Amino acid sequence: MKLYKNITRISVLLVLMLSVGACNSVLDEMPENTKFTEDIDYTISKNAILPLIGAYEQFYAKGWPNNPLMSVRGDDVNAGGLGDQQDFAETDLFNYNKDYWMYNGAMTDEMRVIFHAHSTMEQVQLYKDASGNPDADQYIAEAKVIRAWVLLFITRTWGSFFIPTSSDPSELLVAELYTKDEIMQHLSDQMDEAIPELLDLNPNMRTDIRGGVTRATALAIKAIANLELEKYQEVADATGQIISSNKFSLEPDFYELFKIPGKLNNENLLELQYSDFGQGEGDRKAYLYAFFGPQGWTPKIEGSQSGWGFWEPSLTWIKFMLDRNESIRLETSVLFTNRGISEIQKDANYATLPNWISNTTRSGDIVNDYPRAFFASGKHYLPSDQLTPGRKPYGSNKNFTCIRYAEVLLMYAEALTQGASGTAGSADEAVNEVRTRAKLTPLSGVSNQDVMDEKFAELAMEWGTRFFDMVRLKKYDVLSYEGRTFTEDLIFLPYPQAQVDQLSQLSNPPAN
Amino acid sequence: MKKIFFLTCLLAMANVLWAQDISITGTVTSADDGSPVPGANVILVGTSTGTITNVDGQFTISAPADGTLEFRFVGLETTMVAISNQTVINVQMATSAQSMEEVVVIGYGTSKVKDLTSAIQTVKADDIAKAPVAQPMEGLQGKVAGMQVVSSGAPGATPTVRIRGIGSYPGSSNESPLYVVDGMFFNNIDFLNSSDIESISVLKDATAAAIYGVRAANGVVLITTKAGRINQKAQISYDGYYGVQVAQNVLKMANSEQFTNMAMESGSPADSMYILNAMQRYGRSTTNPNVPEPNTDWYKEILRSAQTQNHSLSLSGGGERASYSLGTSYTFQEGIMNMKNEYERFNLRSKVDYNATDWLTVGGNVLISNATTYAPQNGAWHTTYYAVPVMPVIDEQNVDAWPSQYASAEDLGYRGAKNPFAAMDYNENLTKSMKVNTNFYAKIDFIPRKLSFKSSYNQAFTNYNQRNVGLPYYISNASQREESTLSKTASTFNNIIWDNVLTYTNTFATNHNLVLMAGMSYRQESGQWLRAQGLNFPVDPEQAWYINLSETIPITGVGDGGSRQYGLSYFGRASYNYKYKYLVYATMRADGSSKYQEKWGYFPSIGLGWVLSEEGFLENSDAVSFMKLRASWGQLGNDKIQASDGATTTTVVNTAIDDVLTSGTLTSSTYSSLKWEVVEEINIGITTRFLENRLSADMDYYNRKTNNAVIRVQVPMTGGTTMKNVGVIGNSGFEFLLAWDDQVGSDFSYHIGANLTTLKNEVLDLYGQQYIDGGQAEFRQRTMVGESLLAFFGYETNGVYQNADEIAADPIAVDNGLVPGDFRYKDQQAPGEEGHGVINDDDRVILGSYFPSLMYGVDFSLSWKNLDFSAQMIGQNGAKILNRKRGEIIWTNDGNMDADLAVNRWHGEGTSNIYPSSAGLRKGWNQKMSNYFVEDGSFFRIQNLQIAYNIRNWQISGAEMPHIRLSFTAQRPLTLFQYNGFSPEVANGVDRQTYPIPAIYTFGLTVNF
Repeated sequence: MKLYKNITRISVLLVLMLSVGACNSVLDEMPENTKFTEDIDYTISKNAILPLIGAYEQFYAKGWPNNPLMSVRGDDVNAGGLGDQQDFAETDLFNYNKDYWMYNGAMTDEMRVIFHAHSTMEQVQLYKDASGNPDADQYIAEAKVIRAWVLLFITRTWGSFFIPTSSDPSELLVAELYTKDEIMQHLSDQMDEAIPELLDLNPNMRTDIRGGVTRATALAIKAIANLELEKYQEVADATGQIISSNKFSLEPDFYELFKIPGKLNNENLLELQYSDFGQGEGDRKAYLYAFFGPQGWTPKIEGSQSGWGFWEPSLTWIKFMLDRNESIRLETSVLFTNRGISEIQKDANYATLPNWISNTTRSGDIVNDYPRAFFASGKHYLPSDQLTPGRKPYGSNKNFTCIRYAEVLLMYAEALTQGASGTAGSADEAVNEVRTRAKLTPLSGVSNQDVMDEKFAELAMEWGTRFFDMVRLKKYDVLSYEGRTFTEDLIFLPYPQAQVDQLSQLSNPPAN
Repeated sequence: MKKIFFLTCLLAMANVLWAQDISITGTVTSADDGSPVPGANVILVGTSTGTITNVDGQFTISAPADGTLEFRFVGLETTMVAISNQTVINVQMATSAQSMEEVVVIGYGTSKVKDLTSAIQTVKADDIAKAPVAQPMEGLQGKVAGMQVVSSGAPGATPTVRIRGIGSYPGSSNESPLYVVDGMFFNNIDFLNSSDIESISVLKDATAAAIYGVRAANGVVLITTKAGRINQKAQISYDGYYGVQVAQNVLKMANSEQFTNMAMESGSPADSMYILNAMQRYGRSTTNPNVPEPNTDWYKEILRSAQTQNHSLSLSGGGERASYSLGTSYTFQEGIMNMKNEYERFNLRSKVDYNATDWLTVGGNVLISNATTYAPQNGAWHTTYYAVPVMPVIDEQNVDAWPSQYASAEDLGYRGAKNPFAAMDYNENLTKSMKVNTNFYAKIDFIPRKLSFKSSYNQAFTNYNQRNVGLPYYISNASQREESTLSKTASTFNNIIWDNVLTYTNTFATNHNLVLMAGMSYRQESGQWLRAQGLNFPVDPEQAWYINLSETIPITGVGDGGSRQYGLSYFGRASYNYKYKYLVYATMRADGSSKYQEKWGYFPSIGLGWVLSEEGFLENSDAVSFMKLRASWGQLGNDKIQASDGATTTTVVNTAIDDVLTSGTLTSSTYSSLKWEVVEEINIGITTRFLENRLSADMDYYNRKTNNAVIRVQVPMTGGTTMKNVGVIGNSGFEFLLAWDDQVGSDFSYHIGANLTTLKNEVLDLYGQQYIDGGQAEFRQRTMVGESLLAFFGYETNGVYQNADEIAADPIAVDNGLVPGDFRYKDQQAPGEEGHGVINDDDRVILGSYFPSLMYGVDFSLSWKNLDFSAQMIGQNGAKILNRKRGEIIWTNDGNMDADLAVNRWHGEGTSNIYPSSAGLRKGWNQKMSNYFVEDGSFFRIQNLQIAYNIRNWQISGAEMPHIRLSFTAQRPLTLFQYNGFSPEVANGVDRQTYPIPAIYTFGLTVNF
């Protein structure tokens, strides 16, 4: 039968089809568009730098809330009023909320940088083992320094904390907490490990990663950690070494230091780098300076965007500066509004203000009144005429400085006035180098109070240095300003509830 | 190789004799009045052989003496007659009710309703076509028990469809059912025109859906496109409508007077200053000189009435051996937002089936769908809410503005321009999509009516071209775009499914009826996309909108991606019944997938049925025509879960080093290793027909449990999460279907139907985590054990402080510096408990879920002579909506607000106990996420009203004229709800910029030649 023939043919076909189907190998196909770590060829020596660039990328990509949250509490700066992000303003008033998203956001974002720094160390080590890249130890040391800077601020802000040892966050589930002092000592030791491996250069003299970490960066972090430990001799030694290296100098023009000419300036030991690559449009890496900027302005370059008004120099600080007859640093640090100027003048002692105080900046941008704040931060301000033509966002193309040589000089002076001995000159010399740049008369026989005042004037609105200094010196009365009351139990922010829920150790931290 | 052996065994059974064909004649009449039924289909069961009755209802057919004939006619109950050597068969066909003999499409086959043990609901083409909507699924809203359809007002937008709740953590579109169009798998059917569809079967329970294995967990919707019939005279028909869409329930905003009043009461000097600025700039109102002259109703400004139309033309028929169906349709829908937002779709389809020999049938169908969508700027719905009424749309004084002189609230001092027209006028998002779905099959009957094999090859090709354009403009500092921006994405998807299915049907010893099905399926899904951006391209003309004419092409704007996944499946089904009385139904599918590290999953199901009406005690009951108890259990997979890496990955990143974009690598330290989710479902149901099938009642209880739902597990100190298959999510509820059909005399018939669904969505386990937070921090949605997924989470308000005494009496109010007009929050801790006496985050509780706990639909139709009328009502209860428009005052406290809030605010003792004062609205205390922002989403709606007049059997000069039907339809003419927004239909419960759903009024015309 013909039918039979067909059926025979078809059954052969069927068996064929099913055996094709039975071929399961397609199920083992690799996913598209994914590069697995296990496929990396670690013998390619020149690629050892790639994970390090990745660490810098993560460091520079820090979230915008981190810095404000960790540095808002000093008497130099205010949160810029209620009405939006109330709990940020409440933090400035020392009313902490463990559930506020910014606490968890800032802590976890900082930790992201730490885990990636560890990942970099692990990856570079693999390159070193497989390729023998001679620079591998330097790269690992750089990642250590980045990690140290971040862990320093987490600990300053929250107190007792973990000491992460690898890129795997799950290790924290069983890790123990260390006190702030233990962590500061750990950071100091880490820097000792890193220092011999790092290049002895000003970061702006590096050719491989210009603006990257150098020996001075590690020394400065070591100094800050020891400052926290009140080990002033260590501070004097570390800062003295930077000063004696003669690789750093103060930028003569304080105003421009915080503008485009301040990028990779001789004064900077560590900065977060951003750029619009000289193009009026297209690729751009940027920090969200809008957070710090004034909410309303009439920029010299029309169309340049204004800020959000969350960073307000305090009246306390402005009056302190007026009392000192400061102009260079006051002008650089504050953007005045007319409303702010009359607010100062409400105090009869300041009814007459220097003529130069106006709501128009030296660069010609007019700062208009806005409800949230009286003043905006000048150190976070980039004049609209310094924006790359075509760029609108506030502060675009501006770097974010972390450690300046001025701070190194003042830490040196502070250590000496606390009784340490130094080999890089006297405390007077260090303080006066800073004062000269600010067009102030030199002092002689500086006291510790003089140095602290100088730090207040010089470093205001930057990184919460003032708050951490006052906490360390237990000057809680200073922090109880403009209606606030500060007590010892308010030094550290509460751990974010979201982390306490996961890491039970945090509900029972060791006392600091 | 067991499968091949099994197949070979089945092939061996082909060794049987062919039965002898005899010639049969007969007449088909209507049981109601005995009149002949012309044009009825007479089909030999198990084959595609058939004929059609002539004008006198007579037919002749050649068929085997032991075969069965099936008689079908629209509106009459399908009737089966065993030939049993008769040569004359006269048939009376009863008016169809919810017929038990009806054949429905199930996975890889068909089944009679009465043989099912599962919950399947079928919707016919006529029913879907009643709704004048561009998306066929929208036409199903309120019609299928257990299926929630949330329509969207935006032109071309696909409605959100959920079958029996949601068993997966929401997000990444993992909640939508599987759509199977003529054998091909789709994630949605937005490319189909209602007129392309013959029927839609919704497979709800496990035994129905489990045959689709790893794709079945969210329910399966089977769509059969239109086909012709053997020996059917060519039928040409036109169907179309034209109509207008009108915005409904437009949110009433505060007018200038109310807004001014609020600003003055706010106690904010800035706000009163802005009002003064407005009076200075635009003058004072002549009726109330304390109010600025402009009084702009912004929603009115951005709304328009929009047209919608649909035209379809189809031809179908068949000869001795071949049948065909051809069709084309055109759909055009404008959006009611006053900008270019519209949807246009042009479809072509053809389907051919050919009986090549008496044992071989081949066929194929091709459907081509071309669509163009101009997307709306949904953000404008949001901006408009805050747009201040004291400002006109156009401001001649705003001389800096270009190209149009739109007003900016910034000029009055406000934060932001608050003018929605910038977004609407200077953006254009265009998507051109083309979808080609093809299906070819060959079916071999090894043993006629007993053993057949079908191999089908399906391929769906989709191409999307997206072009997003931002045109330069300036309104004010905060609303400007200096450089034109252009972004293009080209993506293609190519999916292939090859199914081979063997079906064996037989009856043993008269009473044992058995159907066996075994099959395998090969699946390949691949896609790729390429994206690039250009800045500063020539704005004029549109023909110059190309990236290579742009001044800058940012590197970071370039993206390239692709995916390719394979699947291999083996499946089988056994369906057995004894005397159509005791039913057993079992399916099994083994699914292999390249998507996950674990390759194979197994998905079994079993169903049992007991037809009580076949038992002696009910067999001759007058009241009970049919009664069946059903129960089923099964496991279903969900592979909409993202593919996971299963190992650490390294990605390339770049950063600025010394003003040079420098590349580096990032190696992840955490990764997810995922697999499909498995839903275990139990369904217990009863199907009943009473009073000669006039009354039907169906009831189902379902309980679905996802035992390994993918949830986010927090990674400590990273703010990140990894995904793990460790959650347990349950959905359970009841479904009721009730219908009454009756014919009164020969001219009048009517139908009343109702359906009702309850749903309880509950999280049963979160891997020991106390909760998973979702939503934005300020508008927290929390997933907690014992509650619904992503439930709204915040404070409970307990009225408003009315006077100073109340404040003084409450330490909480004193501590927080509250004043009359502020909210009183409920302290969730009892006296003595830790945390009592303070309001902090520990006082937050679950405030409700966005899933409705009850959904219902009622439909009614009647037909009298040439007139017919139908109505459909739908509704839901228990869903909550987060009114984020009100809530976002937290970020923009100087904008407008809805009139209800402005009028009913607290403004003195006793004026309100639900809304704070104007000053209070601006305070952080009152802006906490609370039940003030979480509103009731219940609604009742008249979904569809249609009245139609039929002109049948008419002649002009003796020439037979076509059947004409004229209709008027009102879709969604009335919706009743309490929610302070445009529309209570918000798919994810968060109303920020929901596109309102318009009423549609259309005139329709149908001509059947």
